[in-house]
Amino acid sequence: MSVEPQGMKTWSKLATNKRRPSEYEIVTTNLQTRHRHREQAYELSPAPDLAMNQWYKENVFDSPLQHHDWEEFRDPDALIYRVYTRTQDVQEDYIDGLLDEHNEIDHDASLSAEWLDALERLYTPRRYVQSALQLGGAYLLQIAPASTITTCAGFQEGDELRWLSRTAYRTQELKNAHPTCGFGIKERTYWEDDPAWQGLRELLEKSLIAYDWGESFVAINLVAKPAADETLRELGAAGRHYGDHLLALLVDNQLRDSDRSRRWSAQLVGFCREVDGNTAVIDGWIEKWMPLARTAIESYCDALPESEGAAASAVARVEAFHRSLGLKD
Amino acid sequence: MAMLKMEEWYDLARETNWTPSYVTEDELFPLPMSNNFDIPVSTWESFDEPYKVSYRDYVKSQRDKDVGAYSVKAALARSDFFKKASPHWKALLALHFSAVCWAEFHSASAFGRMTRFSRSPGMRNMATFGTLDEIRHGQIQIYFAYEFLKHDGVFDWCHKSSKTENWIIISLRHALDDIAHTRDATSAAIMLNMGLEQSFTNLQFVALSADAAKCGDHSFATMLQSIQTDEARHAQIGEPMVRIMCENGKKAEAQQLVEIAFWRMWKQFSALSGIGMDYYTPLEHRENSLKDFMDEWVIGQFGRTIEALGLDLPWYWDYLQYDISTFHHAQQIGVYVYRATQWWRPIACVSPAEREWLESKYPGWNETYGKCWDVVIENIRNGDFEKTVPAPPPLICNMCGLEVSGIAGDHWKSVDHQVELDNRLYHFCSPVCKWIFEIEPSRYKGHASIIDRCFDGTIGTGPDDFYEYMGHSFAERGVDGYDYEWIDGYDTPQRAAE
Repeated sequence: MSVEPQGMKTWSKLATNKRRPSEYEIVTTNLQTRHRHREQAYELSPAPDLAMNQWYKENVFDSPLQHHDWEEFRDPDALIYRVYTRTQDVQEDYIDGLLDEHNEIDHDASLSAEWLDALERLYTPRRYVQSALQLGGAYLLQIAPASTITTCAGFQEGDELRWLSRTAYRTQELKNAHPTCGFGIKERTYWEDDPAWQGLRELLEKSLIAYDWGESFVAINLVAKPAADETLRELGAAGRHYGDHLLALLVDNQLRDSDRSRRWSAQLVGFCREVDGNTAVIDGWIEKWMPLARTAIESYCDALPESEGAAASAVARVEAFHRSLGLKD
Repeated sequence: MAMLKMEEWYDLARETNWTPSYVTEDELFPLPMSNNFDIPVSTWESFDEPYKVSYRDYVKSQRDKDVGAYSVKAALARSDFFKKASPHWKALLALHFSAVCWAEFHSASAFGRMTRFSRSPGMRNMATFGTLDEIRHGQIQIYFAYEFLKHDGVFDWCHKSSKTENWIIISLRHALDDIAHTRDATSAAIMLNMGLEQSFTNLQFVALSADAAKCGDHSFATMLQSIQTDEARHAQIGEPMVRIMCENGKKAEAQQLVEIAFWRMWKQFSALSGIGMDYYTPLEHRENSLKDFMDEWVIGQFGRTIEALGLDLPWYWDYLQYDISTFHHAQQIGVYVYRATQWWRPIACVSPAEREWLESKYPGWNETYGKCWDVVIENIRNGDFEKTVPAPPPLICNMCGLEVSGIAGDHWKSVDHQVELDNRLYHFCSPVCKWIFEIEPSRYKGHASIIDRCFDGTIGTGPDDFYEYMGHSFAERGVDGYDYEWIDGYDTPQRAAE
């Protein structure tokens, strides 16, 4: 006789849950190995002998942001890979449709010279913003202390590449329609030298070197990304005044992805706030990073045409997002 | 459709490097996360992925793939495949899923390292897809494994094993952490993609899926094939990286990275896939041995690939040929005799017919490893079950975490390759594991093997302490998957003679 095995209703680690586990919980929890030993996140020499163990110890185990069980975090969207690709495929179909339709009606030929100048200076260089946010997501996912956080950050990184790609696509279309403009040529120069961009570049560069995992999460997901997104929203709004409905619709769709980032980020903040002291830590980091964000928003929005009050509106929306986190209760 | 073709805009999506001025380059790309190997950034920017895909096409093709794979999964839920599957196949499924679900998910972070800390924009985009792929591979495999949980509790280890201190899990974590998770972005890209994805995943996924299809497990086969198509795409990150290194005076460094990674992964695949292919796959479904696959896919194909890239064959290539025919046979003995330390139900797989197959594939097997099994078999036939479990603990390699073995038989002589450092004696199963240690002792010297932990006080000396440390309840200690009934094959001829 072979051995008769005994089955189980669910993973032992989920057995104490009151509810039947969802597919999300079944496939996303407890898949990470590194958050076990303070000196030895990775199975080699402990810190400080192995630099990567030292890095993880300093930036995760010794972070001011603490929780007794990070694995208990859950994405409010319960997003899994096969739903992510299905959802984004539908969204990309929609974007393809937008681009196709506007190309058919020769949309880019109808844009005014004044607006083309704005697009060249303030829209197409945004692929560098997307690249910086792609790097930010990639850091968060590799340093996060639980697989449920890594998964959220992974999809966010995918989103950043999505819009990096679509921005490159539009850059080429605009270049084809207006070969004498600087599309596809001058983006890096604008990004590195134009005063409109320097606030965002400073914010993003500095937030990318906030290597403490908690501060990285706050600096990128609660401050830099929302700030960048709110400048994008103002760009889309300006586009509507110049008849660039294509840009406005692209921005609307991009902000759907950003809303998902804000949902899981807010959930993670709420999860952190279960632990005494974390509220002050997060609030302190927001206070630290917001001056750079305000400057970034102002320098960008002040360069937008037909956008009086844009900077104040954008800042107010970032602040409203922070208020929604309940940190000042 | 008035749409641009991908090649018209693709290069713009790879022009994303800029010169930071609010922070320094070294702050943005610090050690130990980033390493340029003194090659100019402009050269790294020339990275050109052989296989190009856009985000748009990625989500479309991946969605389609999942529709196919998950429909097979739904069919699996309705079938009684698992109930009918032999202990052979159940052991193979339990071993595979418990090792790969977290390991693949973990790789998402390695690709994250490549994205964040590499200077090659094209590679960063490819690695972003790599991250998404690995999230997929963790999720799809653990979901398939979950289907078996209601039949058999050993599949709980597909979920819990990631954080346990089981000795096999320690061994696998050590190897993956070494090549992918504790290296800078450039090294990780070369080591993970050349040393694992391009060399061995074929072995695990293509070979195993062929075996699965023959066993009637079409869900497993379909899923494995679907995963392999992702691996084949993102594995291509490795080649341009190696080419850039070789063309810029860093061949020796690239060579060493590939040699370390390949060997570390060989040891894991030798034990896991080797046992899976040459023992756990039901005999009637076996065609090719581990050696057959290694000769074709690795010695042949991978060898040609690295030579075409400008690298040399690893210095240990001759020793590898010896190891291919030997190491996993000894590991199978160890896994079986120390079966209580496994979470699944190990099986011996040495019935007379299976021995005949092993002898045909590995001439001399009966005179070597077979002799060891003769003793095990004799003890089982005499009812001396306790004698089938060795009293002394095995000697564990301080690099690969697997047993120091050698070739069994009348002249069994296991060679313990040793290094003494800071008044500690380190043991290695092979000259290659020892060589890796000596390249950079500080990386490895502070790690304790499972046996070291028994002697340094980490693990208590009580009868249950060892198992509790590894995360095994009493019910989670492996027992013979056939409850020794395989021994009947030896009794039948004897009875006939009587």
